[in-house]
Amino acid sequence: MSLVRSAGGGELQPMAGWHEGEPLYTDKQFVIRHTVPPNGLTFAGVLDLFNADSVAGAVAPLLSGEGDLHIDLSKVEFCDVSGIRALVSTAQSGRRRLVLHGLPRALHRVMMLVGWGDLPSLQLCDCGMERK
Amino acid sequence: MSDRSPPRTGYQHDALLYAGIPDFVSRTVPFVRGGIEAGEPVLVATSAEKIDLLRADLGADAAAVVFADMAVVGANPARIIPFWQEFVDQHTAEGRSIRGIGEPIWPGRSADELVECQRHESLLNVALSPATPMWLLCPYDIDALDPAVVEEALHSHPFVTECTTQRESGAFRGVDASAAPFDAPLAPVPSGCHEFSFGPGSLSVVRDLVSASASGAGLDAARAQDLVQVAHEVAANSVRHGGGRGALRIWRDAGALICEIRDQGRIDQPLVGRERPGVAVEAPRGLWLANQVCDLVQIRCLQAGSVVRLHMRSYT
Repeated sequence: MSLVRSAGGGELQPMAGWHEGEPLYTDKQFVIRHTVPPNGLTFAGVLDLFNADSVAGAVAPLLSGEGDLHIDLSKVEFCDVSGIRALVSTAQSGRRRLVLHGLPRALHRVMMLVGWGDLPSLQLCDCGMERK
Repeated sequence: MSDRSPPRTGYQHDALLYAGIPDFVSRTVPFVRGGIEAGEPVLVATSAEKIDLLRADLGADAAAVVFADMAVVGANPARIIPFWQEFVDQHTAEGRSIRGIGEPIWPGRSADELVECQRHESLLNVALSPATPMWLLCPYDIDALDPAVVEEALHSHPFVTECTTQRESGAFRGVDASAAPFDAPLAPVPSGCHEFSFGPGSLSVVRDLVSASASGAGLDAARAQDLVQVAHEVAANSVRHGGGRGALRIWRDAGALICEIRDQGRIDQPLVGRERPGVAVEAPRGLWLANQVCDLVQIRCLQAGSVVRLHMRSYT
């Protein structure tokens, strides 16, 4: 299955055409999968105070490599400030920049409002913003 | 008031008591002009109507003043302190003195908003350090406001200007008392309002309950999502810092949906939710977020614990 698509107009977004691969992390409310090509991850489910540290711990080892790490968030049902904090903290501690794709609109808004919308280590791609 | 500036080296937080709109103009224009002549940045946050009158009276000088509609920037009174903080940060790093006029209280404020505005006025004594080179004037219309509101202004401001004289308030409660835990009474919860006790395993139920109530109250999808998000953040605080559990109640009042979260924790930072989160990743952000998206947030620190009420109007 192909990941985040453009909102229309046919312009391809960075993760369009990428495919989900093997699971990297699973708990009762959240799943992280590798992607093909391999410099990406997909998040799905609920990321909150209960699994934020575990999720950050699963992603951290991937941030010592080279180039950007792309994460598709389009299947995140809910993410709280603790969850975002874990992502920000992980991004700041690693070498690679994190690029977030397909942010649900509410999550994008929250990141902007709490001051995490413009960080050098964490890029927000606006793909998917037109989706409901 | 006259534009004679007493020697001021630090923060001045004055109540200006005026009688009607013409008096407002004649009293604030000299203050604004005094700032312009001294080369001080001036920011005026009041009603759109008064801004128009000030612009007209100031003429070409109005270009040197920044105006803001208080009904917009201060709709939720907890957003006013960060608004002033931004103005301070913009100008005082280079050592400049600045002037402000901020009128958060007008007769159309709801009873709940009024209490939060009064808390805001008290916290202005805490939020800005005595060294901040700002002269802030807070106008109160004694013709239009309840005398009790004017009386409270004397408690929340170290200085008062009446007619043309400035004096020490004499009734100022002081900085420490301004920062004391806030326990002003809240409106009673409607009888029969359902209470849901939540714990670590039931935050998703909190979200579902708030979401259903938001839909039922006619909030649009974006505001419903905002309310679900901040209700979760407050409830998550209860789980982490407030004794591990809490109680959620939701009801409608005067066109707003209200979500209340009670727990046994203590919210002991007086400026919580009013300070823009810094770069430190660990800095708390939940109540800041609540103030950015809600029309009103009531935070109380009671003997039995903390109460947070989130108000979201359904018609905006």
